[in-house]
Amino acid sequence: MNLAWKELRRRPGRFAVAGVILTLIAILLMFLGGLLDGLLGNSTGAYRVQEADRFVFSASSKDSLVRSRIDADTRSAVQDAVGDGVVGGIGSVQLGGRLEGRDVRDLVAVVLFGYEVAPKGLPSEVPGPGEVYADVALRSEGVDEGTEIQLGPDRTPVTVIGFLEDSQYNGQGTLWGSLDTWQTVLEANRPGETLGEGTVQALVVRDGPTQATSAAIDAATGGATSTLTITEAIEALPGVSQQRATFNQIIGVTVVIAIVVVALFFALLTVERTGLYGVLKAVGASSRSLFAGVVLQAVVVTLVAAALGAAGALVLDAVIPAGAIPFVAQPSRLISSVVYLLVAAVIGCAFSLRRVLKVDPAAAIGGSQ
Amino acid sequence: MFLAWREIRRAAVRFGLLMAAVGLLVFLILAQQALQDGLLTSFVGAIERQSAPVVVYSVDGQRTLQGSIITPDLQAKIEGAEGVAASGRIGQGTFTVTVDGAAQSDAAIIGYEEAELGAPEPLSAGRLPKAGGEAVGSSPDFAVGDVITVVPPDADADPVEVTVVGLALDAQIQVTPTLFVAWPDYEAAVRVANPDATAVLPNAIGVRPGSGDTDEALVTRINDASDEADALTRQQAADEAPGVAEVRQSFQVIFLLYGLVVPLVTGLFFLIITFQKSASLTLLRAIGARSSTLVRSLLIQVVVVIGGGVVIGVALYAPLSQVQLGAISLRFNLGAVVFWSVLLLVLGLLSALAAARRVLAIDPIEATTSGGNL
Repeated sequence: MNLAWKELRRRPGRFAVAGVILTLIAILLMFLGGLLDGLLGNSTGAYRVQEADRFVFSASSKDSLVRSRIDADTRSAVQDAVGDGVVGGIGSVQLGGRLEGRDVRDLVAVVLFGYEVAPKGLPSEVPGPGEVYADVALRSEGVDEGTEIQLGPDRTPVTVIGFLEDSQYNGQGTLWGSLDTWQTVLEANRPGETLGEGTVQALVVRDGPTQATSAAIDAATGGATSTLTITEAIEALPGVSQQRATFNQIIGVTVVIAIVVVALFFALLTVERTGLYGVLKAVGASSRSLFAGVVLQAVVVTLVAAALGAAGALVLDAVIPAGAIPFVAQPSRLISSVVYLLVAAVIGCAFSLRRVLKVDPAAAIGGSQ
Repeated sequence: MFLAWREIRRAAVRFGLLMAAVGLLVFLILAQQALQDGLLTSFVGAIERQSAPVVVYSVDGQRTLQGSIITPDLQAKIEGAEGVAASGRIGQGTFTVTVDGAAQSDAAIIGYEEAELGAPEPLSAGRLPKAGGEAVGSSPDFAVGDVITVVPPDADADPVEVTVVGLALDAQIQVTPTLFVAWPDYEAAVRVANPDATAVLPNAIGVRPGSGDTDEALVTRINDASDEADALTRQQAADEAPGVAEVRQSFQVIFLLYGLVVPLVTGLFFLIITFQKSASLTLLRAIGARSSTLVRSLLIQVVVVIGGGVVIGVALYAPLSQVQLGAISLRFNLGAVVFWSVLLLVLGLLSALAAARRVLAIDPIEATTSGGNL
C-alpha cells in the first residue's frame, strides 16, 4: 500500500497516459450526462414547476397537452372526484414573440401558458389581462420587467410583470398568464386550435386531505380523461423517456470502456512488475497488500481524472453559448459520474488480481526473472 | 512481419483485450453516427422528401412547419411575388389515430393542395392519393392498405378515415409516423380533432419558380415581398429547422471525444509494451535487426489492432443499424464506416509514433553493458 502510494508520488508520469484517457472518458461521461440533463430540463420545466400533484388530459389526446380538450362538464366531474382538492385549467400555445428594437425577422420563440393554479414561485393570484410572468431564460433575449412582447402573426401584446425559474418547455422560454389572456392570444393567432367557451387543454389537480387516485378521477369522468401524476406526465412528454433510455445506454457502454481501459493499463503494469511482486512476496508481502496497492493506484488515478473531467465539464458549461447546446453541469450528475468511474476502476483492477495471485516468490528467489 | 505476428499470437489475450476496447469504441462511434442520422431524418425527413422546391413559412413559425401560420393576407403576398409559377397550401398537425382499429397512437398528418408542391417523392411503394380518403405513409411505420382513423375527442363524433395507398422512406416529421394526404382530408382531420376550430389555415406555402429561374432567386424575391414571409429552399428548410444544428453540434462534441480516446488507448498500449520489451528489442538490434524492421513490426501490430477493432465494431454495428428505435429508423451507413475506419487508423498510427521513437532510440551497445537489462 505504502509502496504503491510512493510510486504514485515519485513517478506520476508513469500514470499520465492512463490518466489522460480516463480524463477524456470522464469528460465524455459528464458531457453525455449533462446533455441529457439539459435536454430534459429544457423540455420539462413547465411540468416540473407545477404546484400540483396530477395532470388530467382528455382520453383521446395520448396525454399531449396541445391535443387535449377538457370541457366544463368534464371539469366539474373532476372537481367532484377530487373533493377538497384544488382543480385548475391550463393551456399552452407556441408562438414567435416580437420585441421592440429588434429586427422584424428576429423573433423569440416562446410558449404562452394560461393557468389558474399558480406554478411554484408565482403569487396565487393570476395576472391581469395581457400581463404575464416570464421564465428567467428569456432575460438572455433582453426581456425584462415591463417589456412588451407581441405574440404571433396577430402581434397580440403581453407585458412582462415578473419572472419565474426553470419553467422552459420544448426547449423554449415560457410566459405565464391568465386563461383569458391565453384564450385571447390563441383565438387571434391559431384559429385552428381555438377552444370553445369554458374548455381548456388540461387540468392540474392539487390533492386535498382526502386524496383521489388517478383511476378514481378517470372513473368519475366515465373514461373521458387520462389522469397522470406529474412524474408520469413528464415521462409522457414526446421524446423524454426515449432520450433518457438512449443516453443511459451510451453512458453504460462508455463506463464499460472505462473498465476496459483501467483493466488494460493495470494488467500491463502488473505484467511489468511481475518480478518485483515476486521479490516482495519472497520477503513477506501478501497478495492482498499487493492487490490493495494496485487498487489504490487505480482509485487515485481515476479520482484525479474525474476531478479534471468535472473541471472540464464546468468549463464547457461556462463557455457554451446560451441556446447552442443544451448542456448543463449539475452537481448530482458530476458526482454520479465520478462514482461510475471509481466502480469501473475497481472492477478494471480486479482483472489484475489473478495475475498478482499467480506470482511465485520462489521464481524470484531462483533468479529466473 | 514475422515478428509482429509471432508476438500477437503469443500475447493473444493482451492484444485481444485492446482490440475489443477499440472495437467497442468503434461500435459506439458508429452507433451514435447512426443515431444522429436517424434522429435528423426523423425530425425533418418529410421536409426533405416533399416535392415543393421552395417552402414559405411565416416568420412567426421560427422555421417549424407546425408552428407557422400563413394568414390569407400573407398567402396573397407570397403568391403575388414575382417569379412564382405555382403555389399550394401545406398544413401539418399531430393527431391521435388508430391503425386498423388497434390501440391509439400518434401520427403527424401533412396536407397538401397540389401533389407537385407538397406530396412526398420518391415513393418506395404504391402510389400517390388519387381520391379523397387516401394517404401516403412513412415507411416502415405504415403498410399499404392500412386504414388510419383520426380519433375525435368526442366519442360520438364521426371519425375521419384514410387508407394508405403508398409509402415513402425517410419521410417522418418530428420523430412521428407521418401521413401525407390531400388538403380536404387534412382539413377534415383538423376539424374532427378540434370541432371548435374557427378556420384551418395553412402552415406553409409550397412554391415553384418559373422555368429559367432558380429556387434561391425566388426565395430572395418572396422574402423581399413581405417581412412576414420566411422563404427557404427545400434543403435550407430541412437544415435550418430548430434543433437540427443543436443535434449536430452535440454529436460533434461526442465524436471528437471518442475520436481522441481511440488513438490515446492505442498509443498507451504500444508505448507500454515497447517499454516492457525494451531488453528484447535492444538484443535484436545488437544481433543485427534494423530499426526499420522493428518499427515496421510495431506499425503492423497497430494496423492489425485497429483493423481488428474496426471489424469488431462494424460487426456489432451491422445488426444494430437494422433496428427501429421507437420512431427512429437506423441505417447502415457505409460512408460513415469508411470515414471512421480510415480516420481511426491514421490517428492510431500517429499515436504509435511515441513508441516508434523509443524503438529508434535504442542503442545496440546497451546489450553489451547491461543497459538492456539483460
